[in-house]
Amino acid sequence: MNGGAPPTSLLLRVAALAVVVVFVQIGVVSEVPVFGVVVDLSPLTVAFIGLLCGSTVGACAGFGIGLLVDLTLGQTLGLTSLIFTAIGYGSGRLRELRDPQGALVALVLGAAAAGASLVGYSLMEFMLGVDAPVSFELLRQIVLGVIVDAIVALPVWAIVRRCLEPGLPDDPRRRRRRAYTTGGLSPLTRA
Amino acid sequence: MHDKTIRRRRAVLIALVALSLILLTAYFGEARGGRLHAVQRDFLTVVSPIQDGTNKALKPVRDLFGWFSSTLHAKSQLAELRKQNDRLRAELIERQGDERAYATLRRLYHLDNELGVAAYHAVAASVIGASPNLWNRTIDINKGSGDGVRENDPVIVGEGLVGVVTEAGPDGAQVSLVTDSGIGVSAIINETGAPGLVEPKVGEPDSLLMQYLPANTPVSVGNYVVTSGTISSGHPSLFPRGIPIGQVTSVKEEGAIKSVNVQPLANLHNLETVQVLTYPPDSAPARAAHFASSVPAGQAQGTSGAGSSAGQLASTGSGG
Repeated sequence: MNGGAPPTSLLLRVAALAVVVVFVQIGVVSEVPVFGVVVDLSPLTVAFIGLLCGSTVGACAGFGIGLLVDLTLGQTLGLTSLIFTAIGYGSGRLRELRDPQGALVALVLGAAAAGASLVGYSLMEFMLGVDAPVSFELLRQIVLGVIVDAIVALPVWAIVRRCLEPGLPDDPRRRRRRAYTTGGLSPLTRA
Repeated sequence: MHDKTIRRRRAVLIALVALSLILLTAYFGEARGGRLHAVQRDFLTVVSPIQDGTNKALKPVRDLFGWFSSTLHAKSQLAELRKQNDRLRAELIERQGDERAYATLRRLYHLDNELGVAAYHAVAASVIGASPNLWNRTIDINKGSGDGVRENDPVIVGEGLVGVVTEAGPDGAQVSLVTDSGIGVSAIINETGAPGLVEPKVGEPDSLLMQYLPANTPVSVGNYVVTSGTISSGHPSLFPRGIPIGQVTSVKEEGAIKSVNVQPLANLHNLETVQVLTYPPDSAPARAAHFASSVPAGQAQGTSGAGSSAGQLASTGSGG
């Protein structure tokens, strides 16, 4: 995904995933608070799309999902798009520069994406003129939101990866790593 | 090839950020009837049936999670509610006698306010969506202008006030909850009649703040806060008088004015069915709604200071 246009099948999968996530978020997840906060699947999905597909697709998916959220919820247009574009691009760059493989990458990235979303949203609202003090309760809500989103990050990562991986082109770096860790190319690749 | 990829990546990022900023600026600056607002309304019209379908299809999942959440919550509240129930039963018996006397007096003195609930027609609606973020507390409902629902209609549940309709499409509408940062409701302390303005306590999604109470007003924890309705005909209110909003949880005194924290009575996290109070076109609530909708969008929503004044203008004569 470092060069060349992404395959159409991947883009279709990303678009379908975006629509499903936004509607599930608004229709179900938003109505079930956990420890007094609402789990937000959208920034997690954007971050994981970026982590799997790279910065360009991540940024575009972030913009699209953000716009869909703003349109569906009647919020200020462009606000969520801006924040999610940054999240998608950032996680895409993480993949392109580091390509992290640890088991807890999804958890850490999920927490970071949730934190960026909550803090970014609060900052933007302050900049747009919401006259509110930075209260302890607001910080508590942000911290709780990050923790709860980090907890659900692992299953969300599994679902996003399952949805998108069949559409991803084979990555030479990962193929090399697989060959290195298994002691040679897999029989399937050799065939 | 590598340079080209980098250039393309940066160009995409710059284009998307610029597009977001243009949208943000244009939307924030335009009036409620502007082009972007119209696009948003049309989009809401298109997705309302889809949201409705999704909501119905996923209801069992939501109910399952809701059941766990409600059970835990209910257990923690059981003992406290039993005590409260005993106290309220005793109060009810006492109040029933008062109520009969009050009704007789009310008829005698023709105190039936033209903005009472009787002036409204309640439309029951199902909640088909909710906003997940801390700042924009909104829900989507499955009744719209086709059912008589219009912008600025009050929305209630059995426990009390929920919010106000902020967007109405043909088949669905969007409701800003009382905890949304753009909402302000004129209210009184039920026990004393002291007027004030109830606004969301931004950053605390479950709390409200009743402000501008005179310092000498007697208020205590546990007092009920209700909508004040129209006090002065020059400042009509969107809300009928006497709709419960919440219960006072703490009192704060700052110089000449007093403010109190209010816990909403309606469970805003778990709304399934709500009632929208609609009204005839030429009625006094309609005039109040027309007045409220004439306030520019950037002031009516999104900014707390201006939002407060819009809410104040639209909702009362609470100060007077």
